[in-house]
Amino acid sequence: MLSCSPSLTPSFLPQSSTTAPTVLLVEDDPPLRTLTARALQENGYVVRPAATAAEMWATFEAGPIDLILLDIMLPGTSGIDLCKMIRQRSSVPIIFISARASETDRVVGLELGADDYLAKPFGTRELIARIRAVLRRGVTEERRAVPSNRAEFDGLTVDFARRQLFSRDGAMIPLTGAEFDLLASFLSHPLRVIARERLIELSRARIGDSSDRSIDVLVSRLRRKLTDDERPAPFITVRGVGYMLNASVNRI
Amino acid sequence: MVARPSPGLIGRIVGIILLTVMLEFVVSTLLYERAGEFSIKEDEARRLAEHLVIVQRLVDERPPTERPAIASYLSTDRYKVEWQRSAPDRHMLSAELRQMRDQVVEWEPALASAGLQLQLASPVSNDKVAGQIILADGSWVHFKMYGLETGWGLKFNRIMLALIPAIAFAILGGLLVRQTLRPLRTLGHAIESMGQGERIVVREEGTNEVRHLIRAFNQMQDQISRMIADRTQALAAVGHDLRTPLARLQLRIDGSEDTDLRLSSERDIAEMEGMIASVLAYLGGDEDSDASMRVDLGVLVATLVDDMTDHGHRISYQGPDHLIAMVRPNGFKRAITNLIENAIHYGEDVRVGLASEPDRIGLHVEDNGPGIPEESLLDVLEPFVRLDAARSRNTKGLGLGLAIVSRMVEREAGTLTLTNRAEGGLRAEIALPHPRSAKPAPRQQ
Repeated sequence: MLSCSPSLTPSFLPQSSTTAPTVLLVEDDPPLRTLTARALQENGYVVRPAATAAEMWATFEAGPIDLILLDIMLPGTSGIDLCKMIRQRSSVPIIFISARASETDRVVGLELGADDYLAKPFGTRELIARIRAVLRRGVTEERRAVPSNRAEFDGLTVDFARRQLFSRDGAMIPLTGAEFDLLASFLSHPLRVIARERLIELSRARIGDSSDRSIDVLVSRLRRKLTDDERPAPFITVRGVGYMLNASVNRI
Repeated sequence: MVARPSPGLIGRIVGIILLTVMLEFVVSTLLYERAGEFSIKEDEARRLAEHLVIVQRLVDERPPTERPAIASYLSTDRYKVEWQRSAPDRHMLSAELRQMRDQVVEWEPALASAGLQLQLASPVSNDKVAGQIILADGSWVHFKMYGLETGWGLKFNRIMLALIPAIAFAILGGLLVRQTLRPLRTLGHAIESMGQGERIVVREEGTNEVRHLIRAFNQMQDQISRMIADRTQALAAVGHDLRTPLARLQLRIDGSEDTDLRLSSERDIAEMEGMIASVLAYLGGDEDSDASMRVDLGVLVATLVDDMTDHGHRISYQGPDHLIAMVRPNGFKRAITNLIENAIHYGEDVRVGLASEPDRIGLHVEDNGPGIPEESLLDVLEPFVRLDAARSRNTKGLGLGLAIVSRMVEREAGTLTLTNRAEGGLRAEIALPHPRSAKPAPRQQ
């Protein structure tokens, strides 16, 4: 579960911001709220804690928020309903916190417009890494470039909310988090050569995979998974520069 | 369901027995009626007629004191003659042989006035005919004839004619009883499938007792599944709730300066989280909607193997790049992950293989570890089973790893087999039905 990114230190401050980002923390368990708030503060975030949905709305009205950390199991209102309501009013990034490590919960949360999903128990490093990734993704064009949930390319279908890929005959092709992120990066820049450095940067937006592997290995694995008897995977290697997705992408 | 009045199981069976007995009775009676039409060969009838006339005359001539003697004198191997003062007792069940009598009387009409009667000597013996004639003074001559040659195989036909209806009615009775017990059989099937974790509501039908039984079973089934659901939910809730204090612990020790303490506590937390995750996986509490779909198993296995390679383990995959199977992706991934982690834990060199065979999909994970003692190969598939400390395969956790695999594979209608390899180490093999041959509902009968 723990992602360990070597570049992460407690003194880390989010890039591209002059003031510290403000995190609205919605958590009903008092000690966990305090501990999470402390961990965030120690890493340079401004924290606005809230124990209930009512407190959350009050804080939400009070001032600008950069990110909401939302516990899915709140007394009274469910975090899922809250997420829906927030999404009707704002596109502020949301990270779900849940005690259920279920794939279903993750999918439901992501489909409702949450940006990431954090399973309890989590450590400081993972918490900060996820927040940092979501905030960074918030300022890249990638997030805005994915308005729909599904896309089709070269006969294959991608479901972005469920992070699933389906083959030409409808079978699910399992991908790791890093492979999916890489594929998503290709899909947002079809028919264009993407430099290796840019790919690394784009794919790092989401920390879903803990291992440290080079982009070339990732591309070769993705290529192998997408190749079948009839045709090769639609990736072209541009020697010395990077890679290109040689297929048009239809958003569904 | 409207309660239709019903005579009850016992009533039904008694009714069936009564019906068959009555039919048997009616048919047998008709048969005995037909016995009157049995005939014998012409010369046999003439011989009998002559003999009877002689007997009648000779006995009639003698005074009553000499009659028993002359009667016994006139008896031969085939004809037995007795004189009696009164009418002889007639066997209750012996059938009247009218046709035969008419044949005899035709040869010697005098016998008609002597009140000749012929019967089968008994219902069982077939070639024995009994009869009597009345003498002028009202006394009787009783005679029996053996070894009778009947016109048409009286013996065989009588047996057959008695047996055929009996067999037919036994079959009819059996069918009726079977029909009556049919709801019970349905119930039996339902109970079997319930044992496999499937829930079937049985339609209430049949007799009162059976309907009552089915209603009780349906209610019991509801109660059991509710009870299991309650317990599962309670356990899952405990599991989920434990994660909050674990998260607190994790955050608290993250702030600790003591590296040793932090690392060892992190290990403990990871272990506890592992236990919770395995219990939840075993209970199915974390994945409530893992729907079956077509999954590229080749890619799935290769992905897991790649992941382990990236973590520095010696593991290889041999099999096709693509192989489609019908599985629940999350549960099945968990099963393969457990097998691979198990193999990595006990061996240094792990081989994973996948193959599409004519009648199944075979997946195996082999390690070069110590294996499992032969006598424990089945035990380790049970939940919460851990081998003795010295050779334990599950040193950490709750002993659910292989039980989860077993359960997930069972859900896919597959089989899991553990064997010790001849060259050392364990081989775990999963056999799945081919998607081509797999029915949509594999457990349907």
